[in-house]
Amino acid sequence: MIEVKDICKSFGTVRALSKVSFELERGKILGLVGDNGAGNSTLLKILSGDLQPSAGAIYLEGRRMTFRSPADAMRMRIAIAYQFLELVDSAMVWENFFMGRELTKGIGPFVFLDIPKMKQLTAAAISKYGAGLDVRREAGELSGEERQILAVTRAIEANPEILLLDESFTRLSLEGRKEIVDFLREVNKRNDITMVIVSHDLDLVKELSHYIMVLRGGERVYYGRSDDISIDEIVSYMLP
Amino acid sequence: MRSKWVRYPLGAVRTGVMNYYTWFMFVGIYVVTGIFVPTILSSAILLNVLVQGTTVCLLSFGMTFVMLVGEIDLSMVAVAAFSPMGAILAWEAGLPVPAAIVLTPLLGCGIGFCNGVMITRLKIPSLVQTVAMWWMLEGVVLIVTRGVAKAGLPDTWMLLGRIFIGPIPLLVFFFLLVVVIAILFARRTVTGRRLYMVGGSRQASSAMGIPVNRIRIISFMISGLFAALAGYVSSSRMGFVSASFAVEWLMPAIAAPVIAGVSLTGGRGNFVNVIAGAYLVQLIVMVVRAGGVGGYFTEFVQGLLVFIAILVNAGRQRVTGK
Repeated sequence: MIEVKDICKSFGTVRALSKVSFELERGKILGLVGDNGAGNSTLLKILSGDLQPSAGAIYLEGRRMTFRSPADAMRMRIAIAYQFLELVDSAMVWENFFMGRELTKGIGPFVFLDIPKMKQLTAAAISKYGAGLDVRREAGELSGEERQILAVTRAIEANPEILLLDESFTRLSLEGRKEIVDFLREVNKRNDITMVIVSHDLDLVKELSHYIMVLRGGERVYYGRSDDISIDEIVSYMLP
Repeated sequence: MRSKWVRYPLGAVRTGVMNYYTWFMFVGIYVVTGIFVPTILSSAILLNVLVQGTTVCLLSFGMTFVMLVGEIDLSMVAVAAFSPMGAILAWEAGLPVPAAIVLTPLLGCGIGFCNGVMITRLKIPSLVQTVAMWWMLEGVVLIVTRGVAKAGLPDTWMLLGRIFIGPIPLLVFFFLLVVVIAILFARRTVTGRRLYMVGGSRQASSAMGIPVNRIRIISFMISGLFAALAGYVSSSRMGFVSASFAVEWLMPAIAAPVIAGVSLTGGRGNFVNVIAGAYLVQLIVMVVRAGGVGGYFTEFVQGLLVFIAILVNAGRQRVTGK
């Protein structure tokens, strides 16, 4: 269970978030929506340790957390997947997957990359959720949904309890949307991962999330079950 | 891989040609030029190209390592003079020759480390930092030598250029060993692969826990190492060192990786192609001389041919998107 209580964030005189609170049970998906500048990304950055709140607190399983950096949040098993920031386009899928934690084999000073094993494990990790991806393709050649699948699969390799997805569903085709919804549901179900999703794609957010929270001007204007609200109502909450 | 060849023989051939096109270009130009200037097909000239190309190739390899992380090292030509010169001066001061030989690459690495630290910590653009370093090192060598080339190098120092296995000098085998180790390092080691990742995206690499600045510093140490090796190999072949004896190789050392498709913005580069790129540039230089292009036109024609090779590579990149 994650509990966010009265989070405030100001940048100089600009108030980006004001007393935002929510609770989310383990294994549930929260869709965070709002117009540009509503504070969605700021809230996600606070949860991922990228920004520190001006006031308020975050509790994980009842324990108060203070994240000074994304590394702090990662230690507390909170992972974030950005679609466009964390992949190296010129590198292959398996290279992106094992980036920063490469597997090696060898003796003494003669330590070399275990490329066959990395390729095999990447393929296995991705196919576990029903997705198929040629691990030898370059990340720059992948479609929007394939990039998303790669970024999310890599993020959950660290075995997080909470996965944050920031604006990850742009550039998706219609089939791609379906693929990513199925994939994320499977990830959520299999790993019992709590997810917080920020997106402008309201259909997708509503389809995927158990709960919806709408922010406007840095304030929470709606929080409730996804089934209890229509897209039109979400839009009306978003507009001033 | 075998099944790919069986299923898509034409596609696999096309991919092979595109991936190693620099080699096809090198062999093609060599053969075609041989038809017009038959002397260049003689084994003596072939050996000459092979031996003389080692210097450009070593410098190009060093340049490729820094290009992979999206940087450039113009100080390489000065390091190629400074490192062997420093080692020779140390020998004159009493250091045994083998120790002086070992000192040469260490000096190169040390200068590369200084470059790397200035560029990563003080955020000085690599172009500016390495030009300043080039200028300073060349100045130091000029001060020490009073502008006179240093000849009379010890015999042990010149072994690489003087010992032959069959018709081939030992330095070619030394060069091949260095090249194989470099390719193995770039392709099969963690640090080698991380050079590509950092060049591909510093932000992504940093987010995934790769020590980006350390990798960038290492790339400059490697370019310094290769510059020093190029200086050592050349001085052992030619029998002297001077302040500016490597300056003429700067353009070839940049052109060769570019012809070979190494990205100036980082993340892409195939060392096997860089060998062909370096020898292609060396071939162009020799062909222009052997073809009788005289006097003031030499540099222009060399530059023009290199420019055409770069255009061909740009066309290939448009086709393959890499």
